[in-house]
Amino acid sequence: MIIFDNVWFNYGSHQILKDISFSVNSNERVTVLGGSGEGKTTILRLILGLVKPDSGKIFINGEDITDKTEDELRQVRMNFSIVFQEGALFDSLNVKENVAFCLREYNKTMSEDELDSKVRELLRIVGVEDAIELMIEELSGGMQRRVAIARSLAASEPKMFLYDEPTSGLDPINADNICKLILELSQKERGFIIVTHKVFDALKVADRFIFLKDGEVVFDGNKEKLVKADIPDIKLFMEELDFKISI
Amino acid sequence: MESIKIKESISNLQDFYILSIRGLTGIFKRPFYSKDLIEQMDYAGAGSSVIIILVSLFIGMALSLQLSAELSILGLKMYTGKVVGISVIREIGPVTTALVFTGRAGAGIASELGSMILGHQVDTLRVFGVDPIKKLVTPRILSSIIMLPVLTIIGDAVALFGGYYISVFVSHQSGTFYWSSIKDVLIFENVFSGTVKPFIFGYLIASISCYMGLSTKGGAMGLRKSTTQAVVTSIIVIIISDFILTRVLLYMLGFSV
Repeated sequence: MIIFDNVWFNYGSHQILKDISFSVNSNERVTVLGGSGEGKTTILRLILGLVKPDSGKIFINGEDITDKTEDELRQVRMNFSIVFQEGALFDSLNVKENVAFCLREYNKTMSEDELDSKVRELLRIVGVEDAIELMIEELSGGMQRRVAIARSLAASEPKMFLYDEPTSGLDPINADNICKLILELSQKERGFIIVTHKVFDALKVADRFIFLKDGEVVFDGNKEKLVKADIPDIKLFMEELDFKISI
Repeated sequence: MESIKIKESISNLQDFYILSIRGLTGIFKRPFYSKDLIEQMDYAGAGSSVIIILVSLFIGMALSLQLSAELSILGLKMYTGKVVGISVIREIGPVTTALVFTGRAGAGIASELGSMILGHQVDTLRVFGVDPIKKLVTPRILSSIIMLPVLTIIGDAVALFGGYYISVFVSHQSGTFYWSSIKDVLIFENVFSGTVKPFIFGYLIASISCYMGLSTKGGAMGLRKSTTQAVVTSIIVIIISDFILTRVLLYMLGFSV
């Protein structure tokens, strides 16, 4: 369970989040929508304790993580699996070494053969096993996201997935494949939070939508409410959907 | 507004101290990222060697030319080797090598770490429970501390050879006398003075470049800014610290000024 309690966050003199409060259960499928620079990625970074709020509290499974040290946060972060925008893969390593990165860090006793079979298994889950020996620059955008998902699965047995713009910059086919993969992985009561500005993809995967505008939550509700919401910015987002349907 | 800027500057300075000290003390703490260290030594050391050889050669030749011209007016041309030796070993060698190292390795460190920040790769490390200072900063600091003195020795040797070439083939002096003059200046005081500096310069360049890189904010413009700041700050710090070190070393080694 994630709880944001009156969270404020500034970036220098620029106010990013203003008095944000919401809660998300670990089995919920949530999308945070909003324009660029509205603080969507900041929300994910706050959940993981990568940045600290200027005021307010953040609770993860009932624990206040606001003042936790880097070492204490390590345990909190094990609850999540995150895929950053564009994958954030290590471009000096190949696909295998990227996925094996955490396994090498956490499990020093794992043999090379065990490691190889674990990496192959994870790559099979995300459908890019054939790319195991490729370098990152040789992968398409969609493949990079898949490898990033495989790598995040290697890190821990997450209770919840966090995705930062998982379909941005992808063609519709690849975007659709990523959406399907996100839904597949969210089985077994494992929820997710996606931050995106692509409402078309968001509607495919999420049940709950939070809309950010000027650092504030202006909407929090389900699909039906979102489609009917009488908020100008949401209507603008919906125009993308109308455009796609009309085509 | 001014007070916010002052507070920000003090906070940045504090962050820099913390990063540079943790980066250095990380050398003695587990886990050791030896593969990263070797990669960095290759990038910063082997990668910078050609440019340092080239720059040192021409600096040695230019210095020898200038000194030959000036000393021959005074009838002291035979001292060219001695003056070139002292200048290169004590001062010009360490400083020139450090400046070239800043332009190549320092800029590389800042831009690499900056793009890792912008690409969320540093965040990824933190999420995976890996300390970015141990993984990214410590190998860069250690590789610079090891490789800059090595490069300085190579640069010094090449600069002395450049000086020899000009003294013998342009200024028509005795090559044997040139090398014996160089041998005369290779005393403990001079060699110590010239080899202590690169260790400190290496630490400063790597710490500043890592700090600037990891402080990158705001896309391509931010990356440009942090890389420029890393190089400019390192150059200024090298020049100032060279003066301070020279003063301290001269005092320690008993030279009277």
